[in-house]
Amino acid sequence: MSDVKLENTKAQMRKGILELCVLSIISKEASYPTDIINELKEAKLIVVEGTLYPLLNRLKDASLLEYNWRESKSGPPRKYYQITESGQDFLTSLKETWEDLNQAVNYSQSKIKQNEQNS
Amino acid sequence: MNKTVSINLGGYPFHINEDAFEYVHQYLESIRNHFSASDGCDEILYDIEVRMAELFQEHLKGRTIVSMKEVDEVVQVMGKPEDFGAEPLEQPSYQQNRDKSYKKGSIKTGKRLFRDPDDQKLAGVCSGISAYFGIDDPVWVRLIFVLFTFFGGFGVMTYLVLWFIVPEAVTSSDKLAMKGEPTTVENIAKKVEEEINELGDKISEWGKEFGSKKKRHR
Repeated sequence: MSDVKLENTKAQMRKGILELCVLSIISKEASYPTDIINELKEAKLIVVEGTLYPLLNRLKDASLLEYNWRESKSGPPRKYYQITESGQDFLTSLKETWEDLNQAVNYSQSKIKQNEQNS
Repeated sequence: MNKTVSINLGGYPFHINEDAFEYVHQYLESIRNHFSASDGCDEILYDIEVRMAELFQEHLKGRTIVSMKEVDEVVQVMGKPEDFGAEPLEQPSYQQNRDKSYKKGSIKTGKRLFRDPDDQKLAGVCSGISAYFGIDDPVWVRLIFVLFTFFGGFGVMTYLVLWFIVPEAVTSSDKLAMKGEPTTVENIAKKVEEEINELGDKISEWGKEFGSKKKRHR
């Protein structure tokens, strides 16, 4: 039972961070989903590839992303996603939250370590 | 020999074995059901089809026909729709409704009566029935049919009728449905592995036969 919960918690954590990472990858340059997948896989952030497509669709519906079609040499035209202005704002505030959370986690972890050393 | 189907997957053309086609079709339908309440359903599905097509091309490495092996590899990479993750931007009540509709329309999990071509004396009716009722050894069902034949002759009639109306379990998903195992990615993979092993055994048997014939000729 605890295994299931742990997996669930892990998945929830990954999900929030995934959104941040997808937005920051796309904010660098207009990206093709397959390239995004490759970057996410390198960072071991994505477990199954299917996760990305509903996420992109959701971010697009929230007007944080938009896409246009580009011709491809090896197949049908490809969708390239790029970040919108409101997406950029969203990303900036997500990054701030991430910094805060990161500090909070580091702080609480270092407290625990100190207590362990003192005792 | 295997029948193939030509398909257009996300704008890429493929030839695909019939059983593999059915698997892909069920997989895409399960995704469609999962996202059926979302406006972007068709778009998500199309994007996933495109990605699957790219993965097929990678996995085929120049071969021309997609088989269960490639489909299974690609489905493993793409993942099950349940693992795609919840949708944090949506209302929870909405999501519950969607989960329900997903369960209703998901891949068939119920048991179905089939004739079992892997364990047949005549047409696999009895082994299909015993699989359906979870009886380990079909000999008991066969015995009942034989007894019925002696007491009034209904056995033969019933058998012939069942032979006629019960379909044969042809594909891997049929065989899983026959035993009442849900058609999930893992189960199909397991089934395919079993079949591949069986085929391997057969081929090595043929190899031996062939080898012994050759020797005799010399």
